[in-house]
Amino acid sequence: MSLKLDYVLRETASNFRRNITLTLATIITVTISLTLLGAALLFGDAVDNATVRWKDGVEFIVFTDPEISSELEADIRRQLEDSPEVSGFTYIDKDEAYAEVQDLLGDSPELVEVITPERLPASFRVKPSDTLPERVDELAAAFRAQPGVARVVTASETIRAIEDLSSGLRQRVIIIAIVLLVAAAVLILNTIRMALFSRRRDIEVMKLVGATNWFIRVPFMFEGLVQGLIGGVIAIPLIWLTNNFFSVINDDVTLELLRGFTVDPSRVWTLGFQMVGLGAIVGTVGSGIAVTRFLDT
Amino acid sequence: MIRMENVTKVYKGEVLALQNASCEVQRGEFVFLVGPSGSGKSTFMRLLNKEEKPDRGRVFVAGRDIGKLPSWKVPFLRRNIGCVFQDFKLLPNKTVVQNVAFALEVIGSPRSVIKSKVPAILELVGLSKKMHNYPDELSGGEQQRVSIARAFVNRPLILLADEPTGNLDPNTSLGIMTLLDRINRTGTTVVMATHDRSIVDKMRRRVVELDRGQIVRDQSRGVYE
Repeated sequence: MSLKLDYVLRETASNFRRNITLTLATIITVTISLTLLGAALLFGDAVDNATVRWKDGVEFIVFTDPEISSELEADIRRQLEDSPEVSGFTYIDKDEAYAEVQDLLGDSPELVEVITPERLPASFRVKPSDTLPERVDELAAAFRAQPGVARVVTASETIRAIEDLSSGLRQRVIIIAIVLLVAAAVLILNTIRMALFSRRRDIEVMKLVGATNWFIRVPFMFEGLVQGLIGGVIAIPLIWLTNNFFSVINDDVTLELLRGFTVDPSRVWTLGFQMVGLGAIVGTVGSGIAVTRFLDT
Repeated sequence: MIRMENVTKVYKGEVLALQNASCEVQRGEFVFLVGPSGSGKSTFMRLLNKEEKPDRGRVFVAGRDIGKLPSWKVPFLRRNIGCVFQDFKLLPNKTVVQNVAFALEVIGSPRSVIKSKVPAILELVGLSKKMHNYPDELSGGEQQRVSIARAFVNRPLILLADEPTGNLDPNTSLGIMTLLDRINRTGTTVVMATHDRSIVDKMRRRVVELDRGQIVRDQSRGVYE
């Protein structure tokens, strides 16, 4: 049996008109759920970006002079290797530093252009064996006096707090996102079920005259698909706004700590399209499941 | 055309709707199902288009055991069985012509077929002049004619009518009966459940009487009681 496109389109259009309030309710539900989910995921990304340098127990960073000689650099390296107070370190060369800056400043290409790998300092990210703040400060001070060292940056209390939180935060954000997604699916299912309930007479008649289950189901699924798509598309600008809010945090100089607390615009777009796709899937599948209740199985 | 073999149907494990009922209806017959409310008439009909499944026994339609029909084939069974109800079951936001066309659309008939069949069937039931009216603009009798048109438009083998005159006055009922009789004369088997004594007595067709789920009388050219 052929499912005619014009029949599906006509049915969908008339259902939209007939159940305009329920349709709006579904779309708003999808929009809100997807926006919250998108924002939660973006927040996770932002936290990651803000703390990328301070991962895995790094407590202070020794930036070398950009014009440092290789002997002086070897000196610093040897000292780090020999010190019993250092449990480990990572060397970030100029190119790696440049790649990281590109990542962090992706949304300000004019800044990236000014910066070249040569102008960036190489650095050692140091993990001390004793993470007591006073001991870390002492150790950092020792390296600060070392020739060839331009700067030593220690993780402040706040950074430490963020760093401690970031792994837990990420997990929590994912849990919240999953809960939101399930809530959205249940809400959509319910809204569609309500819409279906108001049309159970149509379905009854369709069954009586011998419409197949798929014939009955497809227009409803198409309706869910359109609702999910619209909801997802509306969610994109809302997710953008959330990202702008991150930028405001970023521009506030008093919150210097949260520098890098922003997300690349391309990432926002990708996320937006993922949300649209998710809306479409949830809408289609939700309708399909909801309508099955009214069919013979 | 229809055969029931020792069919028993129990609802929710306690309400006995049909008890060991056996019955055979030949192609082209007109059968009245009579009996008090709750005697199993509606269950009898619902078993035929597989809206219900028997707990025991077998139901044959057009020579096929419909108990063995996979569920995806049930819609195709129903395309051979037209249904008419006491409350018409018309879609209130579709016009007369749309209501009838809907029955053809959902079984995938091409538009050219719909265009030729729908006006013809509305002509047959005498509603050509009200094609574009909505159901609530029609009288009860007219609405029932629309529902008969919808049930008959794709020429089913069997027409099931569950108290089709239950909501209509005697004169209107006679008109509906004339229409069902005409449909029966085209070779369609008609099974009609009814409480309408005068109609049964007047038509003098086969009467199957049910009482508490059992067939207590099966009489050709019978009367109501």
